[in-house]
Order: sequence, then structure tokens, then C-alpha cells
Amino acid sequence: MNSLLAYIPALPLLGFIILSLFGRRSPKPVIAWVGAGTVCLAALITIAVGVAFMQSTPANGAYSQLLWSWFRVGALSVDINLRVDALTLVFIFIITFVGALIHIYSAFFMWHDRDMARFFASMNLFVCSMLLLVMADNLVLLYLGWEGVGLCSYLLIGFWYEVPSNSRAANKAFLITRIGDTALLIGLFLLFKELGTLNMNAIQQQAPQHFTTGSADIVLITVLLLVGGMGKSAQMPLQTWLPDAMAGPSPVSALIHAATMVTAGVYLIARMHGLFLLSPVTMAIVAIVGAVTLLVAGCSALAQTDIKRILAYSTISQIGYMFLALGVGAWSAAIFHFFTHAFFKALLFLAAGVVIEALHHEHNIFRMGGLRKRMPEVFITFLAGAAALSALPLVTAGFFSKDAILWYSWSSAGGTSVLWFMALVGAFITALYSTRLMLVVFWGEMRTPVHQQPDRGMVIPLIILAFFSITAGFIEWPHNMLHLSLFSDHVQQVLPATVMKRDLPSEWLFQAIATVITLTGVYIGYMLYYGKSGVRWQQSPPLAATRDFFFSGWKFDQLYNFLFVKPFLFLTRVNKSDVIDKLYNGIAQAGLRLNGWFSVSQNGSLRLYIVGVLAGILFIITLQLLL
Amino acid sequence: MTNLQLLALLPFMVLATAAVVVILLIAFKQSHTVIQVTGFFMMCAVVLAMWFVRDTLPREVPPLLVVDGLAALFTGLIIFSVLVVGLLSYIYFEEREENPKEYYILLFLATLGAAVLTISRHFISFFIGLELLSVSLYALIAYLRNRNNAIEAGVKYLMLAALTSAFLLFGMALIYMETGSMEFTAIGNAITKSGTSVLFLMGIGLIVVAIGFKLALVPFHLWAADVYQGAPAPVTAFIATVSKIGVFAVFVRFAQAIHLHENALAVTVLTVIAIACMIAGNVLALMQQNIKRLLAYSSIAHFGYLLVAFLSGDAGVGAGVFYLLAYSITLLSAFGIITLLSTRRKDADELSGYRGLFWRNPLMAAIFTVALLSLAGIPLTAGFPAKFFILTVGVQQHMWLLAVVLVLTSVIGLYYYLRIISTLFASPPLSPAKEKSLHPLFYAATYTSLVVLMFLLAWLGIFPGFIIDNVQEFLVIR
Amino acid sequence: MDISQVLFYALSAMALGSAIMVVISRNPVHSVLWLIITFFAISGHYILMNAQFLGIVNLIVYAGAIMVLFLFVIMLMNLNAETEPQKNKWLKLAGVVAGGCLLLVLVAALKQAEVKGKVAMLETGDIGLIRNLGKALFTDFVVPFEISSILFLSAMVGAVVIGKK
Repeated sequence: MNSLLAYIPALPLLGFIILSLFGRRSPKPVIAWVGAGTVCLAALITIAVGVAFMQSTPANGAYSQLLWSWFRVGALSVDINLRVDALTLVFIFIITFVGALIHIYSAFFMWHDRDMARFFASMNLFVCSMLLLVMADNLVLLYLGWEGVGLCSYLLIGFWYEVPSNSRAANKAFLITRIGDTALLIGLFLLFKELGTLNMNAIQQQAPQHFTTGSADIVLITVLLLVGGMGKSAQMPLQTWLPDAMAGPSPVSALIHAATMVTAGVYLIARMHGLFLLSPVTMAIVAIVGAVTLLVAGCSALAQTDIKRILAYSTISQIGYMFLALGVGAWSAAIFHFFTHAFFKALLFLAAGVVIEALHHEHNIFRMGGLRKRMPEVFITFLAGAAALSALPLVTAGFFSKDAILWYSWSSAGGTSVLWFMALVGAFITALYSTRLMLVVFWGEMRTPVHQQPDRGMVIPLIILAFFSITAGFIEWPHNMLHLSLFSDHVQQVLPATVMKRDLPSEWLFQAIATVITLTGVYIGYMLYYGKSGVRWQQSPPLAATRDFFFSGWKFDQLYNFLFVKPFLFLTRVNKSDVIDKLYNGIAQAGLRLNGWFSVSQNGSLRLYIVGVLAGILFIITLQLLL
Repeated sequence: MTNLQLLALLPFMVLATAAVVVILLIAFKQSHTVIQVTGFFMMCAVVLAMWFVRDTLPREVPPLLVVDGLAALFTGLIIFSVLVVGLLSYIYFEEREENPKEYYILLFLATLGAAVLTISRHFISFFIGLELLSVSLYALIAYLRNRNNAIEAGVKYLMLAALTSAFLLFGMALIYMETGSMEFTAIGNAITKSGTSVLFLMGIGLIVVAIGFKLALVPFHLWAADVYQGAPAPVTAFIATVSKIGVFAVFVRFAQAIHLHENALAVTVLTVIAIACMIAGNVLALMQQNIKRLLAYSSIAHFGYLLVAFLSGDAGVGAGVFYLLAYSITLLSAFGIITLLSTRRKDADELSGYRGLFWRNPLMAAIFTVALLSLAGIPLTAGFPAKFFILTVGVQQHMWLLAVVLVLTSVIGLYYYLRIISTLFASPPLSPAKEKSLHPLFYAATYTSLVVLMFLLAWLGIFPGFIIDNVQEFLVIR
Repeated sequence: MDISQVLFYALSAMALGSAIMVVISRNPVHSVLWLIITFFAISGHYILMNAQFLGIVNLIVYAGAIMVLFLFVIMLMNLNAETEPQKNKWLKLAGVVAGGCLLLVLVAALKQAEVKGKVAMLETGDIGLIRNLGKALFTDFVVPFEISSILFLSAMVGAVVIGKK
């Protein structure tokens, strides 16, 4: 099995190379087969590796394959070494499996785009980078993948670069995640300075001996790693890029900005749990960041009208849940939520893509409506996804993962009632905006006619994803219901078990409250948005103001514009004629001036030249006399 | 004189024979092509002879000559340059009315002069070599008499060369008077024994004048632009490479023998000259529109850089040789392009004539671009490691002022090199196609050699270590 | 001060004086004639140093052959004082100043120099004798001798090339 690992990232890389070299001249079927085929093959290999892993856990709990030594600088030696343990296995499964479904969908979705080859090349490169990120056994290789996915995200957000706003969105995403990347890089430098290694295993082993719990060093390092994760995972206050990133094609949003890349921060923190456990302060920060983000983003999702922006804010909010779980030490719950979220959020984005395509690129949900009858497959699958998102009890995957997080946010050693309450409010909001989305888009009267039905090739991935959105939760049941915990057993080979408080109330009580809250959310949504009942209350001024506030994403863009962009522009305007430039201009001016003077000597007169020689001799001899 | 000594002089004798053979061929009314090809093979024979005697080095031929690693290196460099110059000459002169045959006699005699300089260790051979070089050059520069500038350039060179030769002789006389010897090592010994005196220093100063003239160092540089412009393009290439390499070689040997770089006064003088060269050369080239004049100014600046290596003493010799090698290849490719573009009536020296060359002849433009990048010292071309080594030895010897000036003036230099490159890639004017009357084989040969030179530049730029190691190996043969 | 010293100073004065006259004469023919006198004075110096052969050769080659050639050329070109082009006054001044400064500085430098008993070997040297000269030229200095012959070849070819047609 070890020798198969390299093929998993290598296949998409091969696809990328073929497509970028020959893509322009290849016919579309070839592009589709290469682009989607490589990822499907990688998914098959991943499943084979996964089956082997399940059957007999390898020695040290991981497969690993050393490809070659990348570089050696002083004490730092970096190998290209792939490593697959239980945690990585979950991630590569999602990346390749969901990725393969999205690629198949894209083959049909992008068929009429003239830059199909560029699209698939970028997507394949993304899959390769993301796989490297999660399969790396050292942080340098991880960072390579980290930057690679950032680059691909940039390329794909700006895929339709002719529209200026798309390029702006790409730039924004790149710049804001850059802040996180820089913090991560500094964190890595500090870590290397302290431990002298960037190998993950070595870090996990050495960290407890090297750092005392809660010391300034470890707090600083973990906070820097956290900021890195916040940038990639669009957590407060670095969340503003993700809604704009919806400028990219829908499959990109599904793959990069819902299922995989944005959860890189979750992976990083889970992978570095050894460090984070040494710094309770950072853990608390992680939990608070997650809780605040899930509320803020949820409220914003309530007010959006663009179907993809609703889903984008919803993604931010759901990743907030994962951060909350990480922060309270519910490691396996966080990864489990990542697992289920990848299915249903990818599904929602893909289905949204179908809807948008069918309605002549209409993004506004209030100009949709009544699609229930006209697009039944899309309706059913979307319903499954939305149900999972709002965590309808027992019948959806989202319930199992989110219920675990709600429970642990109270009951684990790091949990508090405030965090639990925030998560609960978040669940309510989630149910509310999911219902709103469903009702507005699929019920009511039809406002835009459907001009094309989706291809079969696009519907099949939706159905598969819908199936998993419903059933993926059944592998992990709450403790009080069934003693089935396949998922947490699996990831706890790597991640520590959650530490619980003592003397807890019954878990049934919490589940009942969560269920009631969710159903209340659905019911209120139904009351407000079914039929025309919603029109009146939306007109009242205070609500409208609140809605505008939420609509603009809590005015974060304006705040940053005021705090950073304006001062920066002011500085550049003040420094328009660069002070430093003066120096270089001075050199140029002096050069030209001297050129004028020296040129006088080149007048072609032999006598003057002889005078020059004599002057030289005079200079030399006079110098001798003087010295 | 023993057989072994004669053997060591074999390459130089072959070189002298080459001139005589050309005379005989002319006497028997052979064609230009025959002479050209024979000349080429004679030069190859010189290289072979050099290779043949390589193991017997070092060999002294008292009292005047010594054939050692340094001499072998510089002679090799000279012969290499002459090979290329000879190739360029064929196309250049075949297209002109004048009878080109005597040109080769003078070319080989001048080469012999430069080669003699590299093996000199005595004032007499120094002077004779220098004169042999100069006298041949007078005629070479003025070779195309019908051109306006040719005779003027020749006379200017003649007058100034005569003037500086007089100072050279005076300086030699003063040193002889002080030390009682004309042999470099004996002078060095006498000086270390009794210390320097005013007479000796003045002698050195006057010799520096003559050397400064030949190397076109400021303030003895004023002739350079006029002569470069007036001389036929291959001769300009010859002046820029062979003549300067020979003079630099003898200067290095002389300086090593008398420990010049330990003499504070001489170092001060040369430092001032080096700084003046770097500044004046680069500044003069800034607005220049004539490529040949521009290359003249550029070569002034480059010899300023070279002086930095020279001032570093023994450590700098390797860097200096490498620099000369990179510089020669670069200039030869640049002059190759000028030669190829020159027409029957005039040389292609106006910058405007190069406008849009890339669209007419991409290969030429590529070669010229690489050459200019190398002159500017851009990485991945030979010019970069060359300048870098010089900077390194300069910094190692704590010559901060020189290092700073070198870097600053290199930046200025970048401007005019890039200006030419941007001209090459500008949109082309409508221009008539150049007539080509020669056998295509010669164009093919010239192009091939230029392309080889271009790849050499890239190779030196990327893997300079190989050459540096070999140079160091040669330099220990002494 | 014996006779040879007197002769030395007299010849030196003659050489310098006539050399200055070469430069400042307006008529080119006069310049040539002054130059011949200079060569005579220098030949006298050679003889003073017991180098009779060199003295005679100097006379024959320079004063005899080359100067006659010069005279022919000047006469053929019909040069005289009137045809001499007028130079820029300022340039002349610059030349005088530069030359004067050079002289001044050279004198100043050489005045400091102590000549450590290295006086010219009047009457005693024997290298200038034809026998010793021949021996030196054809044994130790045979290579430079050959090279100088090539130097003349080069000059000859150059003259032919430039002067042809």
C-alpha cells in the first residue's frame, strides 16, 4: 500500500501537466476525460488504500512513502514524504471522492466554456496541492500545498477574468488569505527556532518536553498558526473574502470554497493538536472565534439574496462550528462535521449551479421560485442538502455531527454554557435561513422561466451527494442512542479523546432542546416566507436597517476599507512622488549632467586628446610629488 | 638557447610563420578564400602547438621571455579572439572594393605583437611587442582608406601611440637608471632591497601612461571612440579584445614582479583611474547613438571594472582572466552582429539601423541581446559571474570605494544596454532587404560561430566553476 | 672638468637647442635642417660613450637617409611657412601651459631624486663596439632581434597598403 500513496497526488498533477501543455489544442472530450479521469482514478486508489487501512491498521498507525529528499539547509532537512494516517485518510477521501464527483459534474457544467482546458488544469492542480497539504509529513511540504491551494483558489475565483469584479474578488481572496499565510509562516519559523524540526511527528513528540503549558512561546506559536487557519478557513475577522469568492464557477465554490480548501485551517489545528493542547488560552480563542463567526455569518446569510452568497455565509458559519468544536477539545466531532458538511455543502453548491444555469445566470433568489415542479431531481437533492444543513433530527447527516458539537460545547472540559447557547442560536438561524432558501427558490410562483434542464451527468453526482448527505451520519451515533461510533474510533487513532466534565445533565435533554430549536427555526421560516406572508414585515424601517447591516456582512468590508485601505491609499498618495525614487532620479539626473560635461571632451580634436594625455601625466606625477 | 626553449616558443613561431605564409600566398596570387582558410588553419595550428607544449611549461627563455601558465592563458585568449575576428573579416572585406589580402598579414603580425607581450619579462621585449602591435594597428585602422574616418582614426592612433611610447621609453629609462636592470624580476629584487625612490615611481607613472593609453583608461581614453568608429568593424573588435588582452597581460606580469599593489602610491593612482574609468565610460555611453562609439565607452568602463581585479593583487588575477574571457566572447559576438549588418558603403553603427532587428532577423537579435545582457552583467550570462568574481575579490581586499562605484556605475550601464535591446524589439521601419552575394557557406560558418559564442556566454554564466578551476590550475604554472 | 665633460655639455646644449628649434620653426625645411643637427649631436654622444658603430649608423640612417626623404616629401608637397594652418590661439596657450606644467613638475620631481653614483660611462663602456654588439644581438638577444625584424616587416606592409594606388 505504501507505494500507492504517491499516485494519489501524482495523478491530478499529471492531469494538470497534460492539460496545461496540450489543453488548448485538445478536443473537449479529451479534456473532460483527462481532467475528471485523473481525479476519479485518484479516488479509486484512495478507496483501495482506505479499505486496506481499515482491514489492518499499519505499523505506527500510518502508511508512509518517502519519495525523495527535497533540500537540506543547516539543521533543516525536508523530505518529500507522504504519510497517511487515520486523520489524513478522512481528508483524502473527501478530497478525492467529493472532488471526483465535482469533476464529473464540471465536465458537463463547463462544456460550453471556451477555456475548459484551463479550468480543468487549475482544478487538477488544486486537487494535487490539497492532497499534498494533507498528506505532508512535515510542515514545509504542508506549506507548499497551502500556498498551492491558495494560488489555485485565486486562479479559479478569477476564472472569468474578463469581468473586472471577478478579478477584484480574486485579488481580495488572495490578499486576505495572505495575511493568514504570513502569520502561519512566521509561526513555522518560530516553531523551527524552538524545536529545530518541522517534522510533524517530531513536533508532537518533542513539544510536551520543550514547552511548559501556557508559556508565552507556545501561546504565540499557536496563535500564529491559528491566524493562518483563520485566513484560509474564512473565520472572523478574516472572513470577508469568501462571499466575494463566489465569483468563480459553481463547481469551484463547491470544491474549494465549501468542501476542501476552506477546511484546511481545521486540518491544521487538528494536526497540530499537540501544540494547541499545551496552550489553553489559544484553545479558548479558537472556540470563541468559532462561536462568534458562526453567529455573525449566520445572520448575514439570513439577509442575502444571492443564492451563492447565502451558501457562502452558511459555509463560514458551519466552519465556525468546526472551530468551536476544536476549541472545546472535541476533535473528532470537528472532523466529523467536516466530513458531513463536505457532502451536503458541495451538494448545495452544485445544485445551486444547476439552478443558476437553468435560469439564465440568475443569482437572486427572489427572482426564482416555483422550481419544485419544473426541476424535480434538483428539488429533491437540494431538499436533502438543506435538511442536512439545518440538521433535521435523525434523518440527516448534519444532525449527527452538529448535535455532537452542541453537546460537547457544554459538556467537554473546555465547554461553557455561553458557547453552547451561541451554538444553539446558530442552529436556530441555520434552520431559519435554510428554510427561507428552500421556500423562496422552490415554492411560490415561477418568476423566471426554466430554459434548460440539467444534463444527466450533472444530476447523478447530485444524487450520490444527496445520498451521503442523508446517510453519512449513521456511522456515528450519539452515545445515548446507539453504541455505534465508527468515525470517532477511527480518528481517535490520531486525535485525543474529548475530555468531559463530571456531573453532567442527561444528553437527552440537550438533544431535545436542539431539536425543538431547529424545528422552531423551520417553522418560523415557514411562517415568514411561505406564500406572500413575508412581504409586510420586511418593510418596517428598523428591520430593514438590520437587514441591510446583515446583508453587507456586518459592514466588515466598510470597516476594513476605513481602517486599512483608506490609510494605505492616503500614504501612497502622499508618497506618490516616491521619496526613495528621488535618489534614483538623482542618479539619473547626475548621469545625464555628467554625460553632457564629458561629451565636450569628445570633440574629435587630436590636440585636445594630447592635452588629455598630458593632463593625465601631470596628475600622476603631481600625485607622486604630493604623497 | 636550448631545444626545450625553442619548443616552448613554438606557438609564437607558428604565429610568425602564419604571416609569412600569407605573404607567400599573396605572391602566388591566391584568392581571398584560400588565404582566409589557410589563416584559419594556421591559427588552429597555433592552438595545437600550444596544446603540444603545454606539459613543458613553465619554460624561461632568458633574458627576455618566459612561457608560463599566465602566458599560455592570455595567448590562448588572444588566439581564440583572432580566430573569431578572422572569420568575421572574410564577410566584411569580401564585400568591399579594396583588396583584402594584405589585411591578414597585418592581422597576424599584430597578433604576434600581442602574444609577445604576454611572454615578456623584460623591457625590451615589452617595447618591441608593443610597437609590433601598434605599427600593425596603424595600418589596420586606416585599412579602408576611402572612408572618411579611416585615415583620420589611423593618424589619431598613430600620433597618440607615438606620444605615449615616448613616455614609456622615458619611464623605462628612469627605472633602468634607478635599478640598473630592465628585467622585471631583477627590478623587483632591487626595489625590495633598496626601497622605492622618486625616480622609480616616476618611471612607473610614465609606464602607466603608455599602458593606460593602450587599454583606453581615463584620461588617456579620448582616442577610443574615434578610433573604434573609424576602424573597420573586425579591426575594432581586434583593438577591443586582442590588443587590450596583450597589454593587460604584460601589465599583470610587471605588476606581479615589482609588487605594484603593495605600493600605496601606485594603488592610489590606479584607484583614481579605475573610478574615473567606471564613471566616465558609463556616463559617456548614456546618450550615445552610435553603436561602435557606445561599445568604445563601454569598454572603457569594463577596463575600469577589470582594474578592480588588478588592484586586488594575486587574488584578482583569476577573476581578471575570467573577466577578460567573458568580455572577449561578449564583444566578439556583438561585433559579429555589427559586421554581418554592415553594408558595402558603411558600417552598421547607427542605432537607428537596429530598430526592429528582432522582427527581421530573430537569430541575430537573440545573439546581440545575449551579448548586451552579458555586457550589462545580467545573471545567466557570462558577464554576471565575471563581475561577481571581481566584486568578490574587491570586497575581500576591502576596497569598499571601488566596490561601491562598481555597483553604482553598473546600474547606469544597464540603462544604455537595455536601451539598445529595446530598440532591437521595437516595431521595425520599412527597409530594403540586404543583398547577399557571398557563398552561403561563409554566412553559415559565421552564424554558427556566433551561435556557439552565444551558448558559450550562457554556459559561462551558468557554470562558471569549470573555467575558474582551469584558470586557477594554469595560474599556478609559473 | 676634463675635455669629455666639456664635450658632453656642449653636445647636450646643441641637441636641446636644435630640438627646440625644430618645434618652433615656421618653415618646415628649416625644421628638418634643425633636426639633422640634433641627430649629429646625438651621434656625438654615442661616440663619447665609446659606441662608435652606433654613432655612425645613427648618422647614416637618420641624418643621411631619413632626413633626405623628409626633405623630398616636403619639397614635393610644396610646404612652406605660409601654407601652415593657423591654430586656435587658446589651444596653443593650453598646449604651452600643459607642456610648461609638465616640465615644471618633472624638474621638481627629478630634483628630489638622488642619483646614486650612476653617471654615464663616458669613454669606458664597450657594448657599443661593433663586435660586442653583434655578439649580444645574435646570442642573448636573438629572439627580440628577430621580432624587431618582423616589426619592420609589419611597418613595410602597412606602408604599402596605405600608399597603394
